[in-house]
Amino acid sequence: MAIHLNRRTMLALAGAGVVSLATPLAAQDTALRLAFIPQENPEKLLGDIEAITGWLACEIGVPVEGFVTIDHAAAVEALRNGDADISFMGALPFVLAEAEIGAVPLLSEVYRDAPSYTGRIFVRRDSGIDALADLRGRDIAFADPISESGYLYPLAEFVEAGLVEGPGQAEAFFGRIFFAGGYQQAMQAMAEGLVDAAGASQYADLLLTPQQQAEVTWIAESAPIPSHLVIARPGLDAALRDRFVDAMLRLNEPEHRNKLRYLYGPDGYVRADGAAYDGVRDMARQYGLLR
Amino acid sequence: MIRDFMGVLLATFAAAFVLSGPVSATPAKEAPWLPEAAAYRLTLFLGNLAPLPWGDVEAAWSEPYRGSEFSTGALAWLEGESGVDTDPLLDAIAGEDRQMVFAEATRLIARRIEEELDRAVAAETPAIVQQAVRTARGLYRAFEDGIAAADPDAARRLGLAWLELNSSTGSAGVLGAGATPADRDTQEAARAVISGYLAKNYLVDDFAPRQTLSSLPDSAAASGRAIEVPPSLPPGSDIFDQDPLPLLVLNFEEQGIDETDLPLVAYGDMLFDSAQIFGSPARDLGLACSTCHNRSDVNQRLFIPGASHQPGAIDVDGAFFNPIFNDRRDDPLDIPSLRGLRFTGPYGRDGRFASLRNFTRNVIVNEFGGDEPTPFMMDALVAYMLEFDFLPNSMLTPDGQLTEAAPEAAKRGEAIFNTPFAGLGDRSCASCHIPDANFLDRRAHDIGSVAPAYEGARAGAMDTPTLLGTAYTAPYFHDGSLPTLAAVVDWFDETKSLGLTGAERADLTAYLQAVGAADEPYEAFDTENTAFRLAFSELTTFASTLDTLLPRRDAKHILLLTDTVAADLAADASTMSNLAARPEVYMLAERLAEVGDAVRADDWVAAETSWTAFKSEADAIEERAF
Repeated sequence: MAIHLNRRTMLALAGAGVVSLATPLAAQDTALRLAFIPQENPEKLLGDIEAITGWLACEIGVPVEGFVTIDHAAAVEALRNGDADISFMGALPFVLAEAEIGAVPLLSEVYRDAPSYTGRIFVRRDSGIDALADLRGRDIAFADPISESGYLYPLAEFVEAGLVEGPGQAEAFFGRIFFAGGYQQAMQAMAEGLVDAAGASQYADLLLTPQQQAEVTWIAESAPIPSHLVIARPGLDAALRDRFVDAMLRLNEPEHRNKLRYLYGPDGYVRADGAAYDGVRDMARQYGLLR
Repeated sequence: MIRDFMGVLLATFAAAFVLSGPVSATPAKEAPWLPEAAAYRLTLFLGNLAPLPWGDVEAAWSEPYRGSEFSTGALAWLEGESGVDTDPLLDAIAGEDRQMVFAEATRLIARRIEEELDRAVAAETPAIVQQAVRTARGLYRAFEDGIAAADPDAARRLGLAWLELNSSTGSAGVLGAGATPADRDTQEAARAVISGYLAKNYLVDDFAPRQTLSSLPDSAAASGRAIEVPPSLPPGSDIFDQDPLPLLVLNFEEQGIDETDLPLVAYGDMLFDSAQIFGSPARDLGLACSTCHNRSDVNQRLFIPGASHQPGAIDVDGAFFNPIFNDRRDDPLDIPSLRGLRFTGPYGRDGRFASLRNFTRNVIVNEFGGDEPTPFMMDALVAYMLEFDFLPNSMLTPDGQLTEAAPEAAKRGEAIFNTPFAGLGDRSCASCHIPDANFLDRRAHDIGSVAPAYEGARAGAMDTPTLLGTAYTAPYFHDGSLPTLAAVVDWFDETKSLGLTGAERADLTAYLQAVGAADEPYEAFDTENTAFRLAFSELTTFASTLDTLLPRRDAKHILLLTDTVAADLAADASTMSNLAARPEVYMLAERLAEVGDAVRADDWVAAETSWTAFKSEADAIEERAF
C-alpha cells in the first residue's frame, strides 16, 4: 500500500476534514465523494477505499473519491456541508441524519440473505442461566452504549419482559453493566466468566474460538434490526445517484462479489426501504435520541 | 456496530486471542495483532528455537509479519505511533543476547501499554480515549496467556479492570445525541490495577532468567513454580486448510464401497485427522497429518515462522515440534503429496524409509513427539493411506501415454520427454519418470538439486517424485525452490545443457502440465455439498468404528476416537452455514463425549446406550440439516 497513515495523522486529518483518495480519471465536472466510517485498522480501510473507488469510477463514469471520517457525526456533517455525497452509515445514525439533514437511504447491506439482523443475550451453557429473569443482580457486558444490536435492542428485551422499567433504568436490574468496546470484547468477557451475560449481534458468537462457541448459548433475541446502509445527501443529482446505486447493485453479481470485501464485507446490497427503519426510529425516540 | 463486527468477521472470521488452547483440528482465525505485539510474540517463539534464528528475530521487528494488515513492520510503526525508545531492544538483538532481548522487548510492550493508557487518561474526546484503550488492550494481549496460566485471579482482576476502563471512557453518542461523560475516578482506579501489575511483572529492571521465553509474569517466573503456558503459534502462522480444498480420491470409494464397512480404514482416516496421536505442541495446536497433507495432497498455505521458509514447507525435525529430535539444521522441506502412496515408496524426500509403516511411525514418534502408536493404530493408518489414489486425468492412459484430449503442444513435449540427452547421461526424462510406472522409478538420484552440506558430501540424492497431479502442487523440488513447472524445465535445460529451444521448453512444459493435470483437482462445494457437510460426514464415519471397537471393549482406541471426534464435531459446528442447526451438532458432540466418559468409568452399558443415541441423532440431523 502506498499510503501509510498512522492513527494520529488520521484523526488530525479527519478533524480537519477528510483523508482523500481521489481516483485518477480524466478531469470531469462531476465527481462523487464517498465518506467511510473507520474500522479498527484505518490503514486497511484506505487500501480498500482505493480499490472500490477505482472500480466505481469505471462503472459510473465519473471520478470517485473516498475518504475516512472520524465517526458517524463527521460523516453526516460532510453530507450536510457537501463535502460528501454518499456515506456508509449505521441504522441508528441514519435515522438521526435523516431527521437532521434529510439524508436519503439508498442501499441496505445484506447478510445471510437478509437486510436485517438481531441482537441476542448470550450466556455460558454451564451458567444455569436460562431466562432473562435469571440475570437479576448479575453482571452483563454490552458492546457499546450506542450500538443497536450490542445494547439498545438487547436491552429492549429486558424492558419487554418487564424486568427493566425503561432506558436508563437498567442499573436497578443488573449487578454491573459494562460496555466492553465491541462485540468480541463483550463476548470474550462472558466466555471467560468475567461477566454472566453479553448483549451482542446474533453472529457475535462466531467471534469466539470454535471451542468457546460450543460453550455458549443465547437466551433471548431481539426484533429484527435493519442492517447498515448507504445514504446520500439530499440534493445529490438524481441521475448520478441512480448510476451509483446501479453500480453498487452490480456487486451482487458473481463476477463482482469479490469486491464486497472492500466495503465492510456484506454478502450484498439491496435497495433500501425507508419504512424498514421505523423500528429504529421508534427505538431512537424511546432512548431520547430522536425527538 | 454490525459494520465493525462484519468487518472483523469477514476479514478474519472467528477470532481468538491467541492461536492456542483447545484440542481441535479446526483452528480459530485470529483477530489482527498490532505490529509491535506481533513482533513480541514472534520474538518469544523464535527465541525458543535452537539454534536461535537471529535474522528472523531482527526481521520480526523490521518487517510486517506475514499476512499482516499493516504495511509496515513494528519498528516503522512505532516510529509513527510511539515515543518509546527502541534502541535498547535493537542493541540486544545485535548483541544476540537472548535474555536481554526478552527483557527489552517485554519492557517495550509494557511501556507501549502505559503510553496508550496515558493517552487515554489525557484525552478529552471519547473517540480518542476509546481508541487509546482499545490499542492498550490490544497490546496487553501479548501478555495475556502468560498471566492466565500463572495467576488466574490476577487475569480476572485485570480482565475486569479493562472492562471498567472501557466502560468509563464516556460516549460521544450518536451525532451528539445520547452522549455520556467519562467517569474519571473509575478510569483511574482501573488504570491503577493494570499499571500496578505491569510495573511488578513486565516493567521490572531485572527479569528472572528464562529457560523458555514466554509471556509469564516475572513474579511467576521468579517463583520457580512449574507453570505451563499453553503452546501457541506466533502471528503470521497459517495452519488453515488450503483453499480450494484438494479432492480426495480413495480407491474403495471409487469402487462404491462404503467406508463405514471398512472399520480399520475408517479408524485410520480418523487417526490421519487426529492431533491426539502427536505430542505437544502439535497436539495442543490441533495439528494432524491432514494439516499438512490436505485430503491426501499438500497444503500450499501452511506456514509456521521459524519452521517454514515459504508457504507449503516445514522443517519437522527442528526445535519446535520435538526438541529431542532437533537435528539443528535449517532444512525445511516442501510438503509432498501422498496421492498414490502405495506406488510412491520408498518414503521421505530422500527415500530413506523403505516401509510406509516405519516412515509413519517416525512421523508420529520422532517428528511430532507422540507416544508409541499401537500396532492397531499403525495398521489402521497404513490401511487408510494405501487407499489414496492419483487424480483421474482424461489426458493420460493408464500406462502414462497422452490421449487425444491432450493439447498438441503436450504431444510434442511428450517426444522431448522420451528423448535421451547427453546431459542426462544419455537418458531421457522418462528414464526416471517412467510413464507406465506412475512417472517414477522408486529410486533416489543426485541430480544436483541439493547443495552439499559439507565438503565431499554425498547426500544429495532425492527420491524420484511422480509427475501425476503436480499441476496443483507447486512449488517444486524438495525445498520448493522452483515456483512453476516451466521453471523446472528451465532448470534441467540449463543445468543439464539440454539445449532446448524456447518452443521446445514450452512444449515440454505443456507435457508436464498435461501429465500433472486432473479432471477434478478440487473439492467442489455448493449449497448442498458444504464444507460442514463434508466434515460432518467424515466425523460420523470415523465414529462408525465404534460398532467394531465397543464390542471388543477396546477402551484405548475408543477414547482416542471419542476425544478426537467429539472435539472436532463441536469445533466444526462453527463452520456451519446453517447456524440454527448448530445446537444439535453440539448435542451430538456431547453424546459422543458421553461414550468416552462411560468407557473411562468402565460402564459399557452406558457407553452402548450413548452410542445408540448418537447414531439415531446423527441420522436425524443428516435428514433435517441437509
